[in-house]
Amino acid sequence: MIFDEDFDVIIIGAGHAGCEAASAAARLGVDTALVTINLDLIGQMSCNPAIGGVAKGHIVREIDALGGIMGRVIDRTGIQFRLLNRSRGPAVQSPRAQADRALYRTEMRRVLEFTPNLHLRQGVITDLIVKDNKIIGVNLQDTRKFGAKSVVIAAGTFLNGMIHTGKNTFSAGRAGEPASIELAESLKKLGFPVGRLKTGTPPRLDGRTIDWGAFEPQTADEKPVAFSFATEKIEQPQVQCFIGYTNNDLHNKIRDNIDQSPLYSGKIKGIGPRYCPSIEDKVVKFADKARHQLFLEPEGHNTNEIYLNGFSTSLPAELQQNLLKMIDGFEDVRIIRPGYAIEYDFVDPRELSFSMESFRIKGLFLAGQINGTTGYEEAACQGLIAGINAAFNVLNRPAFRLGRDEAYIGVLIDDLIRNGVDEPYRIFTSRAEARLTLRHDNADQRLFPKGKEIGLLVDSEWEKFNRKRDRITQLRDVLTNTRFKRSDIEYSSLSQLLGRDLGDTITLFQFAQREGVNSQIIHRLLPDNLQATVKLADLDTALADLLYRGYIETQKVSNERIYHNDNLKVPDEFDFRVLSGVSYEMIERLERAKPKTFAQVRKIPGLTPAAISTILVYLTAAKVSA
Amino acid sequence: MENTIVALATPTGRSGIGVIRLSGANSLEIVRTLVRDKNFSPTPRTALLQKIYDLETPDVLDEAIITYFQAPRSFTGEDLIEISCHGSPVILRQIIDLCLRLNARMAEAGEFSLRALANGRMNLSQAEAIRDLIDAQTVAVARQSIRQMRGELSNQLQPLKDALLNVIVILESSLEFVEDDLPDFQAEKIKSDLQVIVETLDKTASTFQAGKLLREGLRVALVGRPNVGKSSLFNALLGAERAIVTEIAGTTRDQIHEKFTINNIPISLIDTAGLRETSDVIEGIGIERSKRAMVDADLVIVLIDGSENLTDEDKKIIAQVDGLSHLFAINKSDLSRDKVKDINNSKTLRVSAKTGFGLSELKKAIVQPFASQEIENKGFLITDSRHFDLLLRAKLEIESSSSLIDNKISEEIILIGLHNALRYLGEVTGETTTEEMLARIFSTFCIGK
Repeated sequence: MIFDEDFDVIIIGAGHAGCEAASAAARLGVDTALVTINLDLIGQMSCNPAIGGVAKGHIVREIDALGGIMGRVIDRTGIQFRLLNRSRGPAVQSPRAQADRALYRTEMRRVLEFTPNLHLRQGVITDLIVKDNKIIGVNLQDTRKFGAKSVVIAAGTFLNGMIHTGKNTFSAGRAGEPASIELAESLKKLGFPVGRLKTGTPPRLDGRTIDWGAFEPQTADEKPVAFSFATEKIEQPQVQCFIGYTNNDLHNKIRDNIDQSPLYSGKIKGIGPRYCPSIEDKVVKFADKARHQLFLEPEGHNTNEIYLNGFSTSLPAELQQNLLKMIDGFEDVRIIRPGYAIEYDFVDPRELSFSMESFRIKGLFLAGQINGTTGYEEAACQGLIAGINAAFNVLNRPAFRLGRDEAYIGVLIDDLIRNGVDEPYRIFTSRAEARLTLRHDNADQRLFPKGKEIGLLVDSEWEKFNRKRDRITQLRDVLTNTRFKRSDIEYSSLSQLLGRDLGDTITLFQFAQREGVNSQIIHRLLPDNLQATVKLADLDTALADLLYRGYIETQKVSNERIYHNDNLKVPDEFDFRVLSGVSYEMIERLERAKPKTFAQVRKIPGLTPAAISTILVYLTAAKVSA
Repeated sequence: MENTIVALATPTGRSGIGVIRLSGANSLEIVRTLVRDKNFSPTPRTALLQKIYDLETPDVLDEAIITYFQAPRSFTGEDLIEISCHGSPVILRQIIDLCLRLNARMAEAGEFSLRALANGRMNLSQAEAIRDLIDAQTVAVARQSIRQMRGELSNQLQPLKDALLNVIVILESSLEFVEDDLPDFQAEKIKSDLQVIVETLDKTASTFQAGKLLREGLRVALVGRPNVGKSSLFNALLGAERAIVTEIAGTTRDQIHEKFTINNIPISLIDTAGLRETSDVIEGIGIERSKRAMVDADLVIVLIDGSENLTDEDKKIIAQVDGLSHLFAINKSDLSRDKVKDINNSKTLRVSAKTGFGLSELKKAIVQPFASQEIENKGFLITDSRHFDLLLRAKLEIESSSSLIDNKISEEIILIGLHNALRYLGEVTGETTTEEMLARIFSTFCIGK
């Protein structure tokens, strides 16, 4: 077949998944094309202009540690940085930043424009060209044909996208952009099982029509915590967000008009996320709640647009306007863009392997919302892994994989490909078994070596990391081995500082755990040579390592107790029919679930304990003979 | 590193000898603690007589034969130790409990065989046999334990699991949804909720004693100096003329065992030779056996002739049962006014083997210290030691989490123990998936911007 252009890797879609995929593949040295419907909307934040949050922020830092770009871009364009869960343990603290939406887009495009081997192309992909179950290229609406050895589809909500406001319904990928209908059909024709999901977005308001005095301000952190390990300083001027509340009258009005919501009239069939409910859902499902919280988030430095977080709705635009006027401070408010709900196709992610490549078509990778996830961060990390593996596919390198105990990214991908999704999937810290290990501040310690091995980190970053690692190791040592005895000079001043007796002897680490002691105080107590080189962030990481060490050890033991057989592998060629004494129905369940480990066997619904113990015996035997 | 497992290798219930088997890297360490000898290094495959001690008290629990099989030359291929004890279920249970406290884990059905397989001590064709073994064990306990697994125990624990999940949901939400407008959680409320769970777990676990009682019964030894009427009482309790009763002291020269039940609890009653100094060789052997029987029994009934004053022999016997679970029965209460008032301030019961006076009180008194009201309520009983183990572990985890709340420890750490406890309960009630937990969060709180 003759193509207009030949590439190694083609990325379809330039949202958060597509951008990471394109950047990673190109930087790994393969010729990469990023094809999008509208080049001016690269890296567009379709929903709220913010990145991070608990668990999501962890993921952004992991992306950064592996050599991805999201962290750097948000660090340069974030206009309100806050570290969430500051009062809690370091494992559940996580950075979040409000972005300047337009700046983020511009910066993302700039980063991609300056990436070698990367070619930006505008166009609508209508069909995948497949030969012998292997991807060889794509067809475009403008009749061009591009060839490729790997293709990553990161189409977001564009597959058969359908927007709803009130009784009004129209086809669109996002407000103002066309849906991808042919590509969706192409996937169905190839046999991919496709489902329908729904998500929503709130109205954007004109900031000049808001009485700001009626809302509580929420300010940025004084010392912002960056996402990228490379960022030295947050440069953007920081802005305030504001918090307000709905009221009972408004709730009643929504209830009175609930039939106008396509969610409740039965028009929307797709399943929406429970953790991101529309205001209609909030009012109906939590009827006893007197008020719901609203966040007024500025969209950027150079716009009056205000994003009304917490008010996602698909009610008719006119009703949205009337409802908002019932809120204190919104008496004169005017809507710039009304909220809407969007339904879209997603592909069952159980079609994918851990590399994000589909089992069905070799060289075809899916990443982002198309796999049933929600959120920019969730999309971006899939894009990164798909981009890396799309390039590795071309380079004949073995696929890259992250384990559940190594990164939230590993948890997310494993959840997706193993369980599929019933509703848009979002990451939570409680999804990770190794929550205490997977901290945001140690993402580099966990993943830099992998980023280096993949080839996405430059040498200077690697050297900088090694120095940091040495400092932290040294710090841990000093913190546990520096002891203050009653007879020491420092002892009495420390004791005075806390106004309490410290016992006969106390280590620096033990002292750090006392109430009222912060890392600044500890920093001043370090030996002089360390004080000069060690940063506060290093100290925080070393303290966190020590804080959790004991718990992680104990947890390991107790997990081992419970799951001591879980790591037994089911051999690839394992024939479940050899299991004697197991009913045909059980064997069918096993064959359908295709478990890879005993842990997965245990979780197959409907397996009897007898069948489980039988397979355990066989797996143990298989492990010995292997 | 695989952890160390422990189990009773001989069938549960009464037997002359009970064998406890330990397998895993820590086996020797555990046994060193049990025999109170840090340097205990037995020659492999050699039987050694050793005293087994309690952990805190100076008590000797048993004298046992210890045989050490060094890895890889053992059944499992790991360090394996067999402890052959006297067959009393009480002693066996105590020693297994000590092993559990020393961080061994209760072995699952077929787990020793599975380890043998994993370590190449068994070939592939033998794998089939193991599966049958596991199945057989399942079948053997089928009726009771399957019903237990799927039904009663699960039903019993479900409300506890729910209550625990509710606490977890509150703590998890406060971590995950920090930006949402959630009610602040009340530490005191959470602590009291956890306390209720711990108490209920305790109550459920305590039925293990009763459950075991129903299954294994009690061994009761009847002792006393000759001719106080032990055989008469024995017959009276059985309601049958089983022992020969004469006026001649020392008629019963060897033990007689018989079984009967009190409130459905199987009682194995042992009529012993009267304890006295004797030169008669046969009687002497009988007396030795009587002493042995006293030590092995769950309960010793010391019978005193109430028509006479306490003799030196009586006093000797009274001194011997000190430290054993015992009760005093004053016989011949029909004959005259009791000459014996009370003994060592202990509770005494008045009976008459002849008229039957006081027999029903005696029966009650026999089971009373072992069976609390649960057995009479015919409520749910834990009979499987693995379930008992799980409940205790769940309880300990919750208690340790609860204590952290006071110390203002962050939620992610408090949650570790609660999640562990949930998993332990889940081994009976079925696993709680993250999805289920999230579902409960979303139905409890209005989450989401």
